[in-house]
Amino acid sequence: MSNGFEPKILYILCSWCGTGGAETASAHGLRYPENVRIYRVNCTGSLPAVHVLRALVEGADGVAVSGCHPGDCHFETGNYHARRRVANLKTILNTLDLGDDRLWFRFVAHGEGRRFVDTATEFSDHIAELGPNPLTARRDT
Amino acid sequence: MNGATVAAPEGVQQAITELLKRGLDEKVFGAVLVPARVPAGDSFAWLLVRDSAVLDEAQPLPPVMSVQGARAIYRFARRGVTGKVAAVLRPCEVRATVELAKLKQVEIDGLVLISMDCPGAVPLKAYVDDPQQGDADFEKLLNGDQTPARDICKVCHLFSRPASDLHFATLGSDNGQASIVAGSDQGRAVLKKLGIAEESSLDAWERAVAERQEQRQQARAEAQATLRQKIAGPDKLLETLSQCINCHVCRSVCPICYCRQCYFESQAVLMPPENILARARRKGGMRLPTDTLLFHVGRMSHMSLSCVSCGACEDACPSSIPVAQLFSLVGDATQKQFDYVAGRSVTEPLPTITYKEDELPDLVAPYVETYSGREAAS
Amino acid sequence: MSDALTISKPPDEALRAFLAFLLQEKKAAAVLTLDRIGKDAAPAYSLITDAKELESAAPLLPIMPANAGKLLAEITELGPSPEPIAAVLKPCELRALVELKKLNQANLDNLLLISFTCGGVFPLAIRNNGGINETLPAYRDALAKGEVADGIRPTCRACEHFVPYNADLTVALVGGPGSSGTSTFLINSSRGAEALEGFEGERTEAKLESDAIDALRAKRADEATKLYTESETAAPGLDGLISIFGRCLSCRACSTVCPICYCELCYFDSVTEDPAPNKYEAQLRHRKATRVPPGTIAFHLGRMTHMVISCVGCGMCSDVCPVSIPVATLFSMVGKSADKVFSYVPGKDLDEELPLKKYEVDELSHLGEERIES
Repeated sequence: MSNGFEPKILYILCSWCGTGGAETASAHGLRYPENVRIYRVNCTGSLPAVHVLRALVEGADGVAVSGCHPGDCHFETGNYHARRRVANLKTILNTLDLGDDRLWFRFVAHGEGRRFVDTATEFSDHIAELGPNPLTARRDT
Repeated sequence: MNGATVAAPEGVQQAITELLKRGLDEKVFGAVLVPARVPAGDSFAWLLVRDSAVLDEAQPLPPVMSVQGARAIYRFARRGVTGKVAAVLRPCEVRATVELAKLKQVEIDGLVLISMDCPGAVPLKAYVDDPQQGDADFEKLLNGDQTPARDICKVCHLFSRPASDLHFATLGSDNGQASIVAGSDQGRAVLKKLGIAEESSLDAWERAVAERQEQRQQARAEAQATLRQKIAGPDKLLETLSQCINCHVCRSVCPICYCRQCYFESQAVLMPPENILARARRKGGMRLPTDTLLFHVGRMSHMSLSCVSCGACEDACPSSIPVAQLFSLVGDATQKQFDYVAGRSVTEPLPTITYKEDELPDLVAPYVETYSGREAAS
Repeated sequence: MSDALTISKPPDEALRAFLAFLLQEKKAAAVLTLDRIGKDAAPAYSLITDAKELESAAPLLPIMPANAGKLLAEITELGPSPEPIAAVLKPCELRALVELKKLNQANLDNLLLISFTCGGVFPLAIRNNGGINETLPAYRDALAKGEVADGIRPTCRACEHFVPYNADLTVALVGGPGSSGTSTFLINSSRGAEALEGFEGERTEAKLESDAIDALRAKRADEATKLYTESETAAPGLDGLISIFGRCLSCRACSTVCPICYCELCYFDSVTEDPAPNKYEAQLRHRKATRVPPGTIAFHLGRMTHMVISCVGCGMCSDVCPVSIPVATLFSMVGKSADKVFSYVPGKDLDEELPLKKYEVDELSHLGEERIES
C-alpha cells in the first residue's frame, strides 16, 4: 500500500453462506487480500458482540461481519438477531464517539463469490485509508 | 384518571404501611418485601415480612437506595415464590424487576408490585457517613428541593407510574389523604379485596406529574449533551475511566447484571503471560488490571438495552466515576434505536429476542457491484 | 550488614533509572510499576516494556489502586513468565504474592521482586480530589523520621510488617536518606545482585534495621493495639457485627479486590447458596421477618474461614467498600488472632507451608481431647 500500512482485518463469517461465499470465490480462482483474517462462527446470530469489541479495542484495525441474507439463514432467524446486535454495538460506539466505521455488516450469499472478495478488499482498503486503529495502540485501555 | 383515596393522617409512608399490614392480615399477600432502617441507624435494608407487627419498623420510601429493589427480589426469588409477595419499590426498581422478568430471572406472577412517586434519593456513601444530615437532605427532596439528590435522580423523567400493580400518587399530595392508582388487573383485584373503591379524580395529580416530567426530560437532554461532549472520543472517555480500579462493583450492584459469573471475570479473559507480554510490548506498556475499557463498553453491549438509570452503580463506585450517567447516555441511545424503554411493559419483548424482517437499512454496508478499487494481488 | 548499592539520586528517580536500565540492558522484558497516566496524573499499575514510557512511572507513590501481588498472580496464573519481569511491590503486596504462590495461584519464576520499607498508603478517596501531591511532603518527612504518617489507611498505621520479606532488592525509605538526594538499595539475593550489575552507584555495606525502623515498629505496635481495642471492630459480638455489617450491600467488592480471594466463582455466589422458596419459608416460620439479600454476616464470617489466615492487611477491602465498612480492620484483627494459633506470618517464609495444609500429630491439645474420668 502507498503509505505502507497493512491493516489487520478480522472478517467474521458464518459457516453457511459466509464461508460458502469464500469457497465459491476460491472455486472461481478469485483471491482476497492476505491481511484479511477469517474468523468462522456457526451463525452470525451466535456471534457475541463482546468478541467484536475485543477485536476493536485490542487487536484489529477493522472488523467485518458477513452472513446469510434475510430469509436464507440456516437457523432461520440468526441473521436478524445479528443485524440487531451489530446495530446495538454501533450505537454504543457512536454514542461514545469511538466511531463505528471500523465495523461493517454485509450479507453475502453462498454463491456470491465475487461479492465476498469485493467486500474483503473494499473493507481492507477502507480501513487502510482510515489508518491504524487508535485504540489498539493505547496503553491505558 | 380515576383512582382510590385512603386516609393518611400520618403521611403517605404510613398509608403505604397500613395497606401492607391489611394485605398481610387479610391474607391478600403471603409476605411483604419492604425497606427498614438497620439497627445501627445508618442505612436501610430489605425485610421479607410475614408478621404484620414488624411493619411498624418499615420505611417504604427510604432516603437512599441501598440494595436495588430488583436485585433484592431476585436474590431471594430467583427460584420462584410461594404465595403472593408484595414488594414496595421505587419506580426504577419496578422497571428493573420487569426487565428481570423478561430476562427470566424473576417470575413476576408471584409478585404484587407497589410503587410511589419518587422524589429521588440521596447519595449512599454520604448518607452512611452522616445519617442525620442525610435524613435532613431527604426532607428537602420530599418538599420538592432537588439540590441534595443524586445526579442521576435530578434528570429522571420516569419517577411516576411504572408498570406496577398499585401506585401511590404522592406527588404534591398532602391534606391527610393518599391516592392510589391501579396499574393492572391484579392491582384492581387487590383494591377490591381490601374494599378500597376507585372513585376519586386524579386529574390534578396527572397534570403535576406531566409538568415535572417535561422539566426532567429537558434537564436530561441537557445533561446528556454536556456529558457527551465531556467523554467524546478515546482520549476523553479514557480520561473519565482512568481512575477505574476494575473492582466491578458497578456490575455487582446492578440489578440487570444477573450473571452468576460475569464474562469479564471468567476464563474467557484469562490470558497466559506470553499473551500479556506480547500485548504490552506492542504498545510499549499496558495498564493493569487489563481490559478496563473493554469491561465498560462490553457491559454496555450486554445490558444497556435494559438499563433503567437507577444509579446503583454510581453510588457504589469507589473512584467517583459518573458510571450511571455514562450508562444512561448509552442506554437511552440504544433503547431509542429500537423504540424500546426498559421496564415499560412486561409484555413488550426485549429488543434482542425480536426482529423485523425489514429494518435498519442503513446498517448494512452498501455494495457497489464489482468493487473497482485495488485488485487483490494475484 | 549486607551488600547494598548507594546511588546519587533520590529514591524515586533512582528506581526509575534502574527500571529503565533493566529494560535497556534487556535484563527484564517488562517492569511492573505505578504509573501516573490517569486524569490529574492519577496512578494505575502498568506493565511497561518500552523504557521511554517510564517517564510517567512513580514506583514509590504511596497509593494502592490494586494489590500488585494479585496482579502478578493473575499474570502467572496459567504458567510462569517466559521472560524476566521486574516488579516494584509494597511489602504487603509481596506477602500476598507469596501466599498466592503457596495457594498455587502464582508462579514466582523469572520475577525480580523489588520492594521498600513502607510508610503506608493513602486511601483511594485521596485521588478523587487530585490530592496525592499535597500529601507527599509531610509523608516523606514522617518516613524519614520513622513516624506514623497522617491520613494513611488504618491497617497501614497498625502494620508491623513494613520491612519486606522475600524481596530481591529493598529500597531503604524509612529512616532513609530523606532529602539528601541519595538512595540505598539493599541486595538480598543473587538475582538482585545480577540485576544491579553495571548500574550506576557505589557498592557498599548497609544495614536495613536502624533506630528509625525500630522506632516506627514500636509506634506501629502501639497503633495496632489502639486500632484493635478501641475501634468498633474490637470484640464486636453478634450485636457488634450486626451494627458493622448492617449497611452491607452484599456487593462482594471486598472479595473482588482481595488478593487472597482468588476463586473465579465465590462459594457464596454459587448454586449451593442459591435461595429457594423452601429456604426463606423455613426462615419465616421461626422468625417474623428475614433480611434480603440473605446471608450478609454469613458471607463475611465464611470469607474469614476461607482466607483470614492469609490476610496481609493491605486494606483494599475497606477502601473499595461503598458503605465505609471497616472490613480490613476487622479481617486483619481476626487474621492476626488466627495466625497466632499457628505461629504463622502470612507471606513471610516462602518455604513454610500454609497452616491448614499441614498438621502435627501432637498439637492443639485443647481441641478434640476427651478426658474420661474413671
